[in-house]
Amino acid sequence: MTCTETRDLFSALADDALTPAERAALDAHLAGCADCRRELAGLLRTVKLVRAIDPARAPAGFVDRVRAAARPEPAPKRLARRLRAPWQTLPLGAAALFLIAGLAVLLFRGSHEQQQAARYQPTTPGPAAQAPTAAPRETGSSATTATRESTPAAPPARSRKLETAKNRVEQPAPAEPRAETTAKGGSPPRDTAPAAPEGRRAKVDSSERAQAPAGERFSSTAEDARADATTDAAKEGKLRQEPPAFQSPPPFGASRVAPSVAAKSQTMPQVAPLSRTGPMTGVPAAAPDVSAHLRVPDVTLAELSLIELAARVGGRQTGRRIDGGRVVVELAVPRDAYAQFVREATALGSLSIERQATERPVLAVTVTVSN
Amino acid sequence: MREALGADPPGLLERLRAGEPRAFEELVTAYQHRVFGVALRMLGSRAEAEEIAQEVFLRAYRALADFRGDARLGTWLYGIASRLCLNRLASPDRRVARGDAALADVPAATPDAAAAAERAELDAALRAAIAGLPEDRRLVLVLRDVEGLSYEEIAEALALDPGTVRSRLHRARLQLKEKLERFA
Repeated sequence: MTCTETRDLFSALADDALTPAERAALDAHLAGCADCRRELAGLLRTVKLVRAIDPARAPAGFVDRVRAAARPEPAPKRLARRLRAPWQTLPLGAAALFLIAGLAVLLFRGSHEQQQAARYQPTTPGPAAQAPTAAPRETGSSATTATRESTPAAPPARSRKLETAKNRVEQPAPAEPRAETTAKGGSPPRDTAPAAPEGRRAKVDSSERAQAPAGERFSSTAEDARADATTDAAKEGKLRQEPPAFQSPPPFGASRVAPSVAAKSQTMPQVAPLSRTGPMTGVPAAAPDVSAHLRVPDVTLAELSLIELAARVGGRQTGRRIDGGRVVVELAVPRDAYAQFVREATALGSLSIERQATERPVLAVTVTVSN
Repeated sequence: MREALGADPPGLLERLRAGEPRAFEELVTAYQHRVFGVALRMLGSRAEAEEIAQEVFLRAYRALADFRGDARLGTWLYGIASRLCLNRLASPDRRVARGDAALADVPAATPDAAAAAERAELDAALRAAIAGLPEDRRLVLVLRDVEGLSYEEIAEALALDPGTVRSRLHRARLQLKEKLERFA
């Protein structure tokens, strides 16, 4: 056996992985070769050094983090989550959207009375309410109405329509607590049900915009309305992201009556669009998760403060309506921030919570504000 | 060197396949240090190692249904970890220097100051030497001499012929020996 052949066995010798024949040949060579003995000693020292390295330990909390990332989900929720990621199913979503939006536009435009009925004018209609710019907005709302009707379990968080898919990516919080519920106690059907409609709506949301130009091919009668509605929605979404201005609380009158115009004028971006649910529009409002009553000296100020508060805790205003002469503010509040919301809302006046269910990750909160 | 891998915890695979949530937690608990260890020695950064280690378990979680069970869970996880590490090392946008600080947390256990300094110097040299090995050799060396896997287990984890494992390991050790000559 040559020196090279011998040295090729050193590593295996260190691991005690030589066959008896190899071992015998190795020993025979080493007995007569001082160079190879020195080489072997050096290699064994190296191996010893490496083996002296302490095995690493995973950082504290590693198991919890992995478990959180891998929470088991039952098939319906996986499906729901896929649907909430609309880019994965965009072609299907776009097709479905076309049918829904196109039908809704056609139906709605077909009935002027219906438009008038849906328009929210409890007292004196402001001149702006009759302005042509109001029409596309209403058309847009009808598209949403159709969508909502197909999803009766949907919460009254109206402005979800305006959320883009991007927003959903940036706010993954809702998906997490849902999964947590599952991990704890299987899959309560109540928990699963709202997820699917939300996902369906998400598809509608993104594809609605993406497909707006194609709508011109689809329905020539609806093209202007659809384009305007899209622009309108985009503007509105932009306005919502701006922090509410508190410096000059606007008067309660005309701008409330014609909120879409008011919002567009940017003079009071904090005033939300009208609620599209409830008795004024004939669309039944889904039951909110939380309904509360806030008694305050200044209703306008309190309303603005509520909207600002909702935004501050990561939520948003989703609508407003007048119910029995009292202002009802509709908000979406992340469940995680709900405690903070209540705490701060209590500071605004006398808050009484009449109904409270906090299962869902984003809570639909309606607050009736009165003196 | 870490203690031998040994057999899978009894019944764990069956419970994992049955989708028992506790079983997955047990799997992570049982193998977290091993998976993290190989990732740390290969990648050098604790943050990157944790990221990869998490990914290893998530992939394992998703692939459990397809796991045939002809390998042990431990070698299977080592295999996933090895692949992910090699992929990460090969990714062009990897900013962390390769193998840098691969042994960053090797403790200097000697109380004597001079001996500690010497040990620290040796540690640094050892770290640099291991980091300087070609990745495929470094992986085999880490699995054998740090993680304590046998030739057969390494062959199983990396889907290699045992002869290949042996020769890669041999080359890695020779290369290390040359680099650490002055400490010998």
